[in-house]
Amino acid sequence: MAEHLFRIAPSGASRATILIVPPLFDEANRLRRTLALAMRALAAEGFAAVLPDLPGQNESLVALEDVDLERWRDALAEVAAGIDGPVVIASIRGGALIDHRAEAAAWWRLAPVGGASLLRTMLRARVTADREAGIESSPESLQAAARDAPLLLAGNALSPAMVAQLGAAEAQPVAPLRSIGLGADGIAGTPLWLRAEPGEDAAMAAAVAADVAAWSKTCGIS
Amino acid sequence: MGAGIESLCAFHAGERHVTEPTHQPFGVDATLRALLADILGLGDERAAALTADSGLFGALPEFDSMAVATVLTEMEDRLGIIIDDDEIDGEIFETYGNLLAFSLRKVNG
Repeated sequence: MAEHLFRIAPSGASRATILIVPPLFDEANRLRRTLALAMRALAAEGFAAVLPDLPGQNESLVALEDVDLERWRDALAEVAAGIDGPVVIASIRGGALIDHRAEAAAWWRLAPVGGASLLRTMLRARVTADREAGIESSPESLQAAARDAPLLLAGNALSPAMVAQLGAAEAQPVAPLRSIGLGADGIAGTPLWLRAEPGEDAAMAAAVAADVAAWSKTCGIS
Repeated sequence: MGAGIESLCAFHAGERHVTEPTHQPFGVDATLRALLADILGLGDERAAALTADSGLFGALPEFDSMAVATVLTEMEDRLGIIIDDDEIDGEIFETYGNLLAFSLRKVNG
């Protein structure tokens, strides 16, 4: 069954579709409001912007413990294949780990992160919560347990395949690619995906939209 | 469209390796305040007002187990250190002073 797509498009014809691949797990929630603002800004520039639900996330009816990174790569490829006209993929953080199977005219990545770093943080959160509850655990013991049963990390039931793939996942080469970070040489803003409570940053959203639009133009989308 | 687009983009197409900005030149204390501000959404003023006695885990409602984990991973990235999970106990996160002392020990070896 097709997943829900959050889409914001200009009233007339669109120049291209920006397929947004969100950060993974809770980081997606923390950035969602700012991404929605960026999508509105892209629509004002004449682009359609699409933010799909990954299977097992948001409004999906699929259980998270039934998916892994491979399924997310396939799902994104299917979404891209169903879009008319040129597609530019814009991935953020862990989104860069699953954006390479989809076909696109160009890729744009913001602050890509390795899967091992995401997994380590979630394992640590579980160890900290366990310690508060008086339970002894360690990242190693949790990963061993995850070899043959789903593991609950920060509210996410991750399948053995998901844990294994995440631990090894790196962003794959794609071309043409613009990879950009935060800060003076990149997008001005704060890493909202790290924030304990969701925030929003309209200026950062505008900067994201402007950079994606400029990269799309560089890549021949007019 | 493949060839045309690739040639247009070729000038920029190489993957630039971009990492989070490092605050290292400003010292461990400033780096730690900046990452707590980023993660806890403290704002510059509250982050600057943290003292050695300021309570963290258990004192700030935003400082939950996920925030503790995120702080550890960001400390590794921004301070260029590796934190073994055996080194972590509850006391490190009790106060800002404890967290700073731990960070300085790690950075200075």
